[in-house]
Amino acid sequence: MEAALKKYDVIIGLEVHAQLATNAKAWCNCEITTHALENTKVCEVCSGHPGTLPALNKRAVEFAVKMALATNCAVNPLSYFDRKNYFYPDLPKGYQITQFEIPIAQNGYIAIMDDAGLEKKIRIERIQIEEDTGKSTHEGESSLINLNRCGTPLIEIVGCPDIRTPLEASSYLKKLHSVLTYLGVSHGNLQEGNFRCDVNVSIHPKGSDKWGTRTETKNLNSFRNVEKAIEAEIARQADILDRGEKVIQQTLNFDAEALKITVLRTKSDAHDYRYFPEPDLISLVVTEAEKEKWRSELPELPEAKVARFISEYAIPLYDADVLTNDKNLANYFEVVAKAHKGEAKKASNWIMVELLRLLNEFNIGVEKSPVVALELASLLNAIHEGRISGKQAKDVFIKMFDEKKGADAVISELGLVQISDTGALEEVARKIVDANPTQVEQFLSGKDRVFGFFVGLMMKETKGQANPQVANDIMKKVLDSKKE
Amino acid sequence: MTKNIYKLHSDLKGKKISSLELTKECLKKALASKNNSFISVTEEVALIEAKLADEEIAKGGLKSTLHGIPYSLKDLFITKGIRTTAGSKILFNYVPPYDGYVSSAFKKAGGVLIGKVGLDEFGMGSTNENSAFGIVKNPLNNNKVPGGSSGGSAASVAEGSSYFSMGTDTGGSSRLPANFCGLVGFKPSYGRVSRYGQIAYASSLDQAAPMANTTLDIACVMEQITAKDYHDGTNVNLGAMNLVTELLSLTEAHIKGKKIGVSKDLIDGCAADIKAELNKALDHLKKAGAELVDVSLPNLKHCVPAYYIIATCEASSNLSRYDGIHYGLRKAHKGNLEDTYIESRSYGFGDEVKKRIILGTFSLSSGYYDAYYTKACKVRRLIYNDFIESFKKCDMVFSPVCASTAFDIGVGPSDPVQMYMNDLYTIPANLAGLPAIALPYGKGADGMPTGFQLIGKQFGDAELLKFGHAFDISNGRMTVGGV
Repeated sequence: MEAALKKYDVIIGLEVHAQLATNAKAWCNCEITTHALENTKVCEVCSGHPGTLPALNKRAVEFAVKMALATNCAVNPLSYFDRKNYFYPDLPKGYQITQFEIPIAQNGYIAIMDDAGLEKKIRIERIQIEEDTGKSTHEGESSLINLNRCGTPLIEIVGCPDIRTPLEASSYLKKLHSVLTYLGVSHGNLQEGNFRCDVNVSIHPKGSDKWGTRTETKNLNSFRNVEKAIEAEIARQADILDRGEKVIQQTLNFDAEALKITVLRTKSDAHDYRYFPEPDLISLVVTEAEKEKWRSELPELPEAKVARFISEYAIPLYDADVLTNDKNLANYFEVVAKAHKGEAKKASNWIMVELLRLLNEFNIGVEKSPVVALELASLLNAIHEGRISGKQAKDVFIKMFDEKKGADAVISELGLVQISDTGALEEVARKIVDANPTQVEQFLSGKDRVFGFFVGLMMKETKGQANPQVANDIMKKVLDSKKE
Repeated sequence: MTKNIYKLHSDLKGKKISSLELTKECLKKALASKNNSFISVTEEVALIEAKLADEEIAKGGLKSTLHGIPYSLKDLFITKGIRTTAGSKILFNYVPPYDGYVSSAFKKAGGVLIGKVGLDEFGMGSTNENSAFGIVKNPLNNNKVPGGSSGGSAASVAEGSSYFSMGTDTGGSSRLPANFCGLVGFKPSYGRVSRYGQIAYASSLDQAAPMANTTLDIACVMEQITAKDYHDGTNVNLGAMNLVTELLSLTEAHIKGKKIGVSKDLIDGCAADIKAELNKALDHLKKAGAELVDVSLPNLKHCVPAYYIIATCEASSNLSRYDGIHYGLRKAHKGNLEDTYIESRSYGFGDEVKKRIILGTFSLSSGYYDAYYTKACKVRRLIYNDFIESFKKCDMVFSPVCASTAFDIGVGPSDPVQMYMNDLYTIPANLAGLPAIALPYGKGADGMPTGFQLIGKQFGDAELLKFGHAFDISNGRMTVGGV
């Protein structure tokens, strides 16, 4: 890909499907869950029985509007539902209800950080409400259909082709994802398919203002895979153009294991979806009052939170950005920072380094962290108050994490009480100095390296419980007194 | 006076008859019917419901004017646990897992379901000849069609095996059979009756549409099926109609002063015998005190093509769900998905249904959409506007129901366009979403019933029924007070 980027400019546009975390499906009262037996969260409506009709779940509208407002979109006071017709067994009505002509919202943007760390606006063309299909599983000769997902409300967020690099693409997705989860309008669980992405990529020779033919890669389900798929597709298209051939408009599939792009279908055999207005649903009206009510309910969004964290907690932009990516992580940080008696930056470091490392290792979300925020704050306070050393704290933290225990409990369990009592330490220091006259001589003759020997003995005598800084100071004082 | 539900209701109240007696009599007629009215006679259900009704009536009186009254449902209405076929092979074995709005409403009202009656497949047809379950015959003359698509509904009421029947009306499907069988057929305003559990033909045109012997009967039915239903987003929230008491107090005098819009062009297109009867009906109305005013509906001439584009477009999508995968008929000899679709749908649908699916699919396809679907929607708006203009001058518009009396079985025009032209008079009310009532009046040259229809203002359903009832009285088919 590196070589390709020297010769070609890249144009990327993303379409995101986010499942809405409503209490029930879009057109019926069925529960939305991925953890139920197949075809048990299904009724006559979502399984498309004859005579059934969709009854719009107003919550889906609220969620879509909130996302629209949070991404600076214009909300259409009047929008419509349309039918997208195609046959597939996991689409039991034979059509998907979506918004084609006039979607609920249009013309927004979100700001991301580009590869150079500068702010960049990525425009959003439209946000539309639609329904999810069921799931097909193919096993040898037969196919199994699970309709539990069928009729789950989705929003499709169609981004403008403003993205230029794979990294920008994943930044954009992470930002959309964090806004969705901040709003609470989507669970945003990528593994469970709450958040899915289609990628449009084209390349053209540098300097040319005519864009190349684009391809669409379907259903990518992780930020990393989006980057990898775009990299693979750029390389593939560059290879085609290098050979003097033409890229053809195709729908592609990305195999994340093999890092390989395969063709799903070409434009010539594309579906004619025969869109037309859904006659079973009346036009969708969003009143000014509803819109303003929903706007007033918007929580603090990532961008505002970053700014506040920087000013309120005096942490750097990088830290604020990492911490605010996930609403739960941001909340966790705030609890720790507020309960911690020292600098907030210490809390930020511990969360970004120690906590996230273990959480990622065990693939646990911060909301389920075995070390709750207040316990991490207790641990940090123990360091701050000089009761334990930073090095000891790391061992304590691991034990807290592994055994789900509180900071003080682990500290006393390990017998880790740091000796900062200067009188007691001074006595130890004097004994050591008296017992090692040879080394004292060496020190006094200018061999500063011997100082480490004395401190080492002091840590040994106190079984490592001496506060290192205090031990250092006292030993220096005792030795210096010998100079006179 | 024609036998009617309100009379039976009074007799049930006065313990002169029992629901079980009425039901047994209807079942006997249904089972012995020479008209092929029924696809399924629900004998067991009917007997249980009748006994239950009698018990309830004995204990606590009558729940509604339909309590204990035998009725039938067009087999397009979903009935939980009772096979519902839409007159199609593709649903020959379909037993719904739920009750639709209409069937629930009648259960709640205490009605007695005699059975599910025949229809043109999925409501597509004007003669009842397009059915996988055989042609329904006109009880008044077995060589004639009963009209369609709710032919079984009309036949069951006309033969006396039901006291009312719930039909549907997408382009005249209840008014035409009512007209061919000498009954009253009523298409409510679009959105007045929930469509939940009514198998869709064309969603923006379909309405549940009762048929019965008198307008008063229709009012009894409408009271039970006009509550707001949140399952149907297009169902308006106007509250259940409360009409019967008001109707009982009306006399012929209600006709006086009402302005009836008449468009000469419409009447002139009819056969001579029909034209004569229509003019007699107008005279009758005039004598009863109605004021006849000329109206012009210039865009009505475009209604047939507009209707057949919109209806088939919606149908092509509505009928996509019959794919052989989830329920109904499945033919899968070759085993792969595409062949399963092709085989199931080729075998499952009748010719008329296939024709309409193809028409609709074509009209919606890319490159043709604007020329057909968009244009048809514009015409639809123009037709609606014609009515709005007319209603500035009149309370309701007078129109033929059909240019002739019931057709002979098997001799329909071979040219489908000519066949579709039969719907010319009934389609406008569907396209404009307006209520319309077909009232029997007079006989054609062949002795078969004829009549006329009145098209009312949007959601002026009650006004239309009041007028229809007053006309029934003036015509000797009903008495003041109903009994």
